[in-house]
Amino acid sequence: MLEAINLSKKYGEHQALKSLNLNVPAGETYCLLGQNGAGKTTTINLFLGLLKPSGGKTLINGVEVNMDKNTTNSMIAYIPEVVQLYGNLNGLENLEFFSRLSGHNHSKKWLVSLLSKAGLKEKHHTKKLSSYSKGMRQKVGVAIALSKNAQVIFMDEPTSGLDPQATAEFTAICKELVSEGKTIFMATHDIFNAVNVGSRIGIMKEGELIHSGKTLDLTAIELQDLYLKTI
Amino acid sequence: MSLYLLMFRQFVRTRICQLGLSMVLVLGIISIFIGKQFLDKQRATAAQVAETQQEHIKRNVDLHKDDLGLLLYYLKFAVVNDVSPLAGLSIGQKDINPSVQNVTILALEGQKYDADLVNPATLLFGNLDLSFLIVYVFPLLVIAFNYNLLSEEEEGGTWKMVSVMSVHRWRHLFTKMSVRAVLLFGVLIILFIIAAGILGIEYNLAFSKIILTSMLYIAFWFAIVAFIISLRRSSNFNAVALLFCWLIFLILIPAVLNNVIVNKYPMPEAFTTMIKQRDGYHEKWDTNKRETVEKFYKQYPQFSSYGFPSEASKLQWLWYYAMQNLGDVESKEESALLEAKVLKRDDVSQTWSMLVPSLHAQLIFNSLAGTGMENYLDFLNYTEQFHEKTRLYLYPKIFSYNKAEGVDWDRFKPEHVSFEAHITWSHLLLPFIGAIFLLVCATLISFRYFNS
Repeated sequence: MLEAINLSKKYGEHQALKSLNLNVPAGETYCLLGQNGAGKTTTINLFLGLLKPSGGKTLINGVEVNMDKNTTNSMIAYIPEVVQLYGNLNGLENLEFFSRLSGHNHSKKWLVSLLSKAGLKEKHHTKKLSSYSKGMRQKVGVAIALSKNAQVIFMDEPTSGLDPQATAEFTAICKELVSEGKTIFMATHDIFNAVNVGSRIGIMKEGELIHSGKTLDLTAIELQDLYLKTI
Repeated sequence: MSLYLLMFRQFVRTRICQLGLSMVLVLGIISIFIGKQFLDKQRATAAQVAETQQEHIKRNVDLHKDDLGLLLYYLKFAVVNDVSPLAGLSIGQKDINPSVQNVTILALEGQKYDADLVNPATLLFGNLDLSFLIVYVFPLLVIAFNYNLLSEEEEGGTWKMVSVMSVHRWRHLFTKMSVRAVLLFGVLIILFIIAAGILGIEYNLAFSKIILTSMLYIAFWFAIVAFIISLRRSSNFNAVALLFCWLIFLILIPAVLNNVIVNKYPMPEAFTTMIKQRDGYHEKWDTNKRETVEKFYKQYPQFSSYGFPSEASKLQWLWYYAMQNLGDVESKEESALLEAKVLKRDDVSQTWSMLVPSLHAQLIFNSLAGTGMENYLDFLNYTEQFHEKTRLYLYPKIFSYNKAEGVDWDRFKPEHVSFEAHITWSHLLLPFIGAIFLLVCATLISFRYFNS
């Protein structure tokens, strides 16, 4: 589903990503761990087509991102660390806005059901965005991804700053998405969440993927040890 | 709800939109009432002229009924440059250049530039008419509404979401800009509709051209904003750069151009014309009367049958009016030079305005409203013809020593005249379309460069 082949990115003289090779099959949750500046966000941005690679290529469902961005764009959604939405629109209107922007024309009823599915209580749907917590924004972000019916959802540290309950809710949503056949590619610092939600993990250091494997055989403690040894 | 309506709702809910549109609407209505005040004053003056002239003639005829020469020394005849209702939109130079000329049949040059005293403080601040609002304030709103069109999203983080969600993210930007354009053009049209109602403007070609000029001028500012946005810099940079553009187009270039024109085309003729005219007349007091009248007959051979005054007589009206006439004749060259200089200045301004849309808009507004320099020069020329026509009618009556009762005074009603501006479509459109085309090309190149 997701493939990075000899992917590299340079910002001036700084080599942010060094010949990354990666393969994430459909229906998996890939958690990318690493310190700040390890290259996680750069990897996501390259998959999103927001950056052009200095070398190599990224493929989504066999389509090269930089060759056919329209096609790859139609397959992906993105949930950043803080889902930035339009402050003058409420949650439902933001969902409708981004849904329309992606070319979909869902009914209001359907959009309400998506927000509810993402875990946002109905009483908050039409409230001002300024009253939303970070967790509520994440839920609108998930609803936006659902509205687009994206096959791959990229998440950049989605649980950072969320309280334990919000994190647990978010994790549950992620699992549900995967059970529906979506692929999740998540950059995170949260080792426990990575073990909990991820089917595969990768550990990056200074632009290189140092470790990549399944999480099935690992406990959170073992992963933490591995992470600390790796970095 | 369509995406466009959502974008519309999103923008309409912002403070800057609510404040900006309310402000321009209030200022617009004030400016229309300022225009109405100006028109009312002009109309009241024109209405008064008819009444005053009748009274003035009657009073003087009663006083000097036996001496037509003396009577016509005092009598003034009015010619009125009718003010178009469009002048309420763009007062231009109409507040300093008189719309009514009251002239005697004595030498004209000294009377041509008689004007009412104007409060210099008013001149300093200018008129807050609708054209001022369009030329100066609307660009500020275009800037305020659009300077952070993209940078706000980049700085706020929504642009990344937009880029991932939308296949056509540049279309998204264009749509955002079009929301702002629709609102501003909407307010502009509302103001024109209000102005038409209050000022009594007919929906004719000149009015349509003023509306079109306004829209193209605002579109030009949208094109400038689009270009600055395409540089993909911060909101601060965009705001400063756009304000700088505003200063350049609306303050710096007009000031420099005015300075260049004034220095390149000085008008000493304004003074020498007056001196020549006065000398032309006064020197004749010490000149042989026959010589003066001979010169006069050269101008008007049809009066040569009236003969020559005796050198001994103190004052003879034939000789006196010949002296007055020769004042105009002898200053004719300077007067023509002065007019040519004024025309040259206007011509240079017009030429340069083809490259500066803000100047072009102002000049087009003034031309169409009949408040520009060419309208005033047309009026001065007409005044000359009117003066000549009047004196040629009255000269034989004076020279024949008619009494006041021998003249049909009822025919001397104030004469009304109006001049139509001739602005071709190409002259109106080309500067705007050219500037917008160049800016759009630059914007597309810039977007392509900064996206690669």
